Amino acid sequence: MSQLATFIEEKRQNKPILSMTHVVYGYPSVEESLSWMERLLEEGVDFIEVQFPFSDPVADGPSIVAACHKALEQKLDVETCLSQLGKIAKNFPDSRIVLMSYLNPMYRFGLDKLAKRAAEENILGLILPDLPIEQAATYQAACKANGIDPVWLVTPATPKDRLAMLAGQASGFLYCVARSGVTGHSVHEGKSKVNVLDDYLAEIKTHASAPMGVGFGLRHREQIEQLTGKADIAILGSALLDAFNKGGQEAGIKLIQDLFH
Amino acid sequence: MQSENGFYGQYGGSYIPEILYSSQQQILHAFEEAKNDPEFLAELNKQWQQFSGRPTPLTFCANLTEHFGGAQIYLKREDLNHSGAHKMNNVIGQGLLVKRMGKKRVIAETGAGQHGIATALVAARLGLECTIYMGAKDIERQYPNVFWMKQLGATVVPVTTGAQTLRDALDEALRDWSSSHEESHYLIGTSCGCAPFPEMVAYFQSVIGNEVREQSVAQFGQFPDRLYACVGGGSNACGLFLPFLDDKEVEMVGVEAGGKGLELGEHSIRLSHNLGQPGIAQGFATMFLQDDAGQLQETHSIAAGLDYVGVSPIIAHLAEIGRIKMTYAMDDEVIAACTLLLKKEGIIPALESSHALAGAFKDAPNLPKDSKIVINLSGRGDKDIFNVAKAVEDETFPQFLTDYLASYPTTQNKGDKA
Repeated sequence: MSQLATFIEEKRQNKPILSMTHVVYGYPSVEESLSWMERLLEEGVDFIEVQFPFSDPVADGPSIVAACHKALEQKLDVETCLSQLGKIAKNFPDSRIVLMSYLNPMYRFGLDKLAKRAAEENILGLILPDLPIEQAATYQAACKANGIDPVWLVTPATPKDRLAMLAGQASGFLYCVARSGVTGHSVHEGKSKVNVLDDYLAEIKTHASAPMGVGFGLRHREQIEQLTGKADIAILGSALLDAFNKGGQEAGIKLIQDLFH
Repeated sequence: MQSENGFYGQYGGSYIPEILYSSQQQILHAFEEAKNDPEFLAELNKQWQQFSGRPTPLTFCANLTEHFGGAQIYLKREDLNHSGAHKMNNVIGQGLLVKRMGKKRVIAETGAGQHGIATALVAARLGLECTIYMGAKDIERQYPNVFWMKQLGATVVPVTTGAQTLRDALDEALRDWSSSHEESHYLIGTSCGCAPFPEMVAYFQSVIGNEVREQSVAQFGQFPDRLYACVGGGSNACGLFLPFLDDKEVEMVGVEAGGKGLELGEHSIRLSHNLGQPGIAQGFATMFLQDDAGQLQETHSIAAGLDYVGVSPIIAHLAEIGRIKMTYAMDDEVIAACTLLLKKEGIIPALESSHALAGAFKDAPNLPKDSKIVINLSGRGDKDIFNVAKAVEDETFPQFLTDYLASYPTTQNKGDKA
């Protein structure tokens, strides 16, 4: 079993659902984003999903788009980001960091090099939402060779046979997008009905041997409670960013406590 | 041009968020079926003719030919399409496809506004709901087009993220599509984006080159020696060039926007002089203007329709293998070419198309007198009235605007009736 999946299974012995909190690297500055990650880890979140910003984040809604554009006002560098994350990972051995970005900055950095460097820094999972599995053979091989996991996404619009294929290939964990649309609150927000989400997660579970993470549109305690027993990880992205924007780290931490404690 | 699984050499493909997979596959299959369905093709040809006025003429320019003293210059008059640009060819095709797929709403991105207007026209005619994404900066530059889109019943959404131009509008259209894919079709305006869009848009635009094949033989007894087209996204270039791809003796020249200079951010030159780099973004692989960290960069052109960070994967591939020669024209050369066409031939070209003119005018004097060149006049220039007036420093234009504003029925002039 992959290191990431093993970590999740072990943690799940004591916790009904794990938390993954999202941070945009470099927002509002590199230092502040690193300090925010440390604060979250001190709070005991199980995962941090670090987004390396891209100029054209098409799967993201307004909160994350604005944060990425703000972050890109400074020059950001993948190599520096990886070594900084590596240091944090070392200081917080009870949690894990996964790296999310869009394909182009990672493609320019080199996908082979990315897998190698991520593994060296103990970043065990990579999420690239605009790289379809059909184009990912060399990326998958690079991840495998370095013992880290490419995290695949499934959505409510994914056809059943494709869902089975993606779930079957999932390693580390499977990222289950809860609804149509982009991340966070926006005009481009798909609707999701409660029981439809339950059916959707049950359907995924019949195919997936890897743990399941659920994200997109989570911002209330009831939503997290609803996921408990049906998924392994609740992923908190834009809601946390919105709280952070309103009231800084303290507001963010309060949201996490409200949702998970 | 047939792709290999959506790829043209190393460019193209489909790099989209998973949520769009089903809709992308639906378009792929619908397009494959439609282009092999004689009834669909008959309807397409009928609409091209009866709604857009095709075929468009191939116009010989005697005065320009004499002026340069070299090649014989012909214009393919896409400016005479309904809506005033070649964009109509594609929106009619995709509009009919939307009806075929049973969707009720279209989303489109637009730069200059030509594709936005064309989409709004077709949406009105086919009874489709229509939302147009347009960069806030482009809205400023091209307000007359925005006005007409709204009058046609479309919702125009200003995009205020990033550089607020075509690239940001495209991102936002993709985001809309991610949430509305079940009932909406993303009616992309150029031969970019995920497969099958580049191939599909090029297919619908190839009516341009197919007509030139017949018209050139009928009018001067041979295929043209050389073709010129401006290259923004690349749809009018694909349309003119692709039908001649196998005719090796026909040369092809694509003209990009040199803008104000060759520094990053001042131009939209992606395919020559090592200014663009291979990348994967906005759903496809192509040459993008980007920094060494893979962040897409701002671009500039006096023509909003050429102000785009990527380029058709088909054009990128054909440029790479040397089938198309790429060049560029600077903003001031473009205004000069536009002015020359006005004075010599009585035709008002769009600033986008004026890039093709500028590229061709540089070569024309040095080409043999018996050679024939065809320049794609992809759109008419009425929409550019404000920008051209400013560029030629027309002295009376500001007075006209002042007078117009003074007589404009504003809320204050009307009094508080609400």
